[in-house]
Amino acid sequence: MTLQAERATGAAGAAPSGHERPTATRRRFGRVAGWLGAMPYLLFLAVFLIAPIATNVWTSFQVDGSFSLASMARLFEPQYRDAFMQTIRLSLLTAGAGGVLGLILAWALATSERPKWLRNLVLSFSAVASQLGGVALAFAFVAAIGVQGLVTRMILSLTGWSLSDSIQLASFWGIALVYLYFQVPLMAILMLPAFGALKKQWSEAAYSLGASRFRYLRDIAFPIMWPPIIGALLLLFANSFSAYATAYALAGGRVNLVPILIGFFISGNVMTDDSFAAALVTGMIVIVVAAMGLRTLLERRSNKWLR
Amino acid sequence: MAALDTPAGAKPLSGRRRPRVTGAAQATIFAVALILFFTPLVASAAFGFTLPGKGFTLDSLDVAVQNTSFLPQLSSTLQLAALSTLASLLLLVPTLLFLHLRAPRMLPLTEWLSVVPYVVPAIALVSGANLFFRNMAPGFLVSTYSLVPFYMVLTLPLVYRTLDAGIRALDIRTLFAASASLGATPLQTLARIILPNLRASMLGASLLSCALVLGEYALASLLLHSTFPVFMVQVGMNQPRAAAALSFLSIVVTWLLLAALSGASAKRTRKSGPARSTRQTSKDLPTQESTPAEQSSATKGISR
Repeated sequence: MTLQAERATGAAGAAPSGHERPTATRRRFGRVAGWLGAMPYLLFLAVFLIAPIATNVWTSFQVDGSFSLASMARLFEPQYRDAFMQTIRLSLLTAGAGGVLGLILAWALATSERPKWLRNLVLSFSAVASQLGGVALAFAFVAAIGVQGLVTRMILSLTGWSLSDSIQLASFWGIALVYLYFQVPLMAILMLPAFGALKKQWSEAAYSLGASRFRYLRDIAFPIMWPPIIGALLLLFANSFSAYATAYALAGGRVNLVPILIGFFISGNVMTDDSFAAALVTGMIVIVVAAMGLRTLLERRSNKWLR
Repeated sequence: MAALDTPAGAKPLSGRRRPRVTGAAQATIFAVALILFFTPLVASAAFGFTLPGKGFTLDSLDVAVQNTSFLPQLSSTLQLAALSTLASLLLLVPTLLFLHLRAPRMLPLTEWLSVVPYVVPAIALVSGANLFFRNMAPGFLVSTYSLVPFYMVLTLPLVYRTLDAGIRALDIRTLFAASASLGATPLQTLARIILPNLRASMLGASLLSCALVLGEYALASLLLHSTFPVFMVQVGMNQPRAAAALSFLSIVVTWLLLAALSGASAKRTRKSGPARSTRQTSKDLPTQESTPAEQSSATKGISR
């Protein structure tokens, strides 16, 4: 056992020691064993993740059993293009607003020192809130600022202004507001490590060399912080783009969003057209993958600094 | 700090004033954040558990609980959570241990695959699953338990990362070698050394998986299975108070699960403190490096 473990280390290249000479058969055995060991995991993902997605993409390019771009082309019909534009606008809005507010929250979390309990309370609550969402959050917001909601009635009796008339939950702005509930803490949580990597010595060095606060932010903080900031914004964008449950529970079909549209196609509320439904999904995947791929590229860059 | 570093008398005023302004700003930000965080929670509790002119009451919950489909749907959700968590652990723990021990060269591939569900929206997975299994195995999606593998896929990025970080912190090769040199068989090492040391990260992975599965709506509703979130939406159609009460309870449960996770991983961080430097920095999600709370939320939730 000891020997085997040591040889495995050598074969893996973790410790390139001179007197280690793995024979060809042993190396081949290692490779086969590796594939065999990973096989259950790979098979599982192949059946339940890769195959469904591949089938979906394949279907979106098939009309009546032959290759066709017709379904994908239909994505540009006004009704569906509008859905994509609405979803993109919603995602940009919630990522942008959530990003700015989340950045402020992250700054407060990263730099606050004195009341430790307060910081920890906000931190743990941010962690939970960034995970909330879905149906429960939607109903909680209905209870707060819906037509009969607690806050609505309170404001109405205090000022006579009806909140629910101005911000309807079952509308674009209502959905955006609810999304912010998880986007802001998510941004804060994502940005915390980056703030932590901004070493205090850098600002001290800059100030002692006579830099102003603005100069420090422009020449030192910003160049280091922008890749993680953009990366986090892209994640927020993807997050909001692919959200379904919250929007559905809030608005049903009243807002023209891509995930809700796809939901209607799948549950058969509108005419069944497998190929076109699949094309909608493919369009959605392309956008989310683009956002997340860009994030990965940026992260490679930012990892240089955030060690 | 600034006051110490600046030469005496250089800028005493700004050096002293800045922290106070900053502190006030931070306190304001925290206060506003907490108020905004808590408003929907307090509102849902107040809305769900009171009736006009009656004060605190459980009436609205009563209506929901007496609904004949309440218990079956709750129990099917709990079963799904337990089953997918268990299945995830059974699939991932042996695989990861084996790969770390014998074939570390496979790890980049498996890790890359584990974040793929991250870029596939749940709704896209439903559509693909519908198309694929309707053609290949038409009976498969009928059973509620067919959701288990898909929930495993959806929770994979988080569960994989939690377990992987736990294993990396252990240096299992050395442990295996050391216990073998003391005469233990590999099985004994596994049962008495490795698994007990992995308990914290397995617990963390389980809590995450449970918390996410309990709130999942998109897959369940679109594959026409009745789980608790689906029930909540049905109730919400005509009994908003009951829905608010149920929402409040389910948010509290999620919160407790994630808080337990923070507690568990805080303990682990303290235990494996020195080993942390060897952990690889992940390229996608921050692992549980600095604060325990970070790990639970470094991703988008699947429940949306």
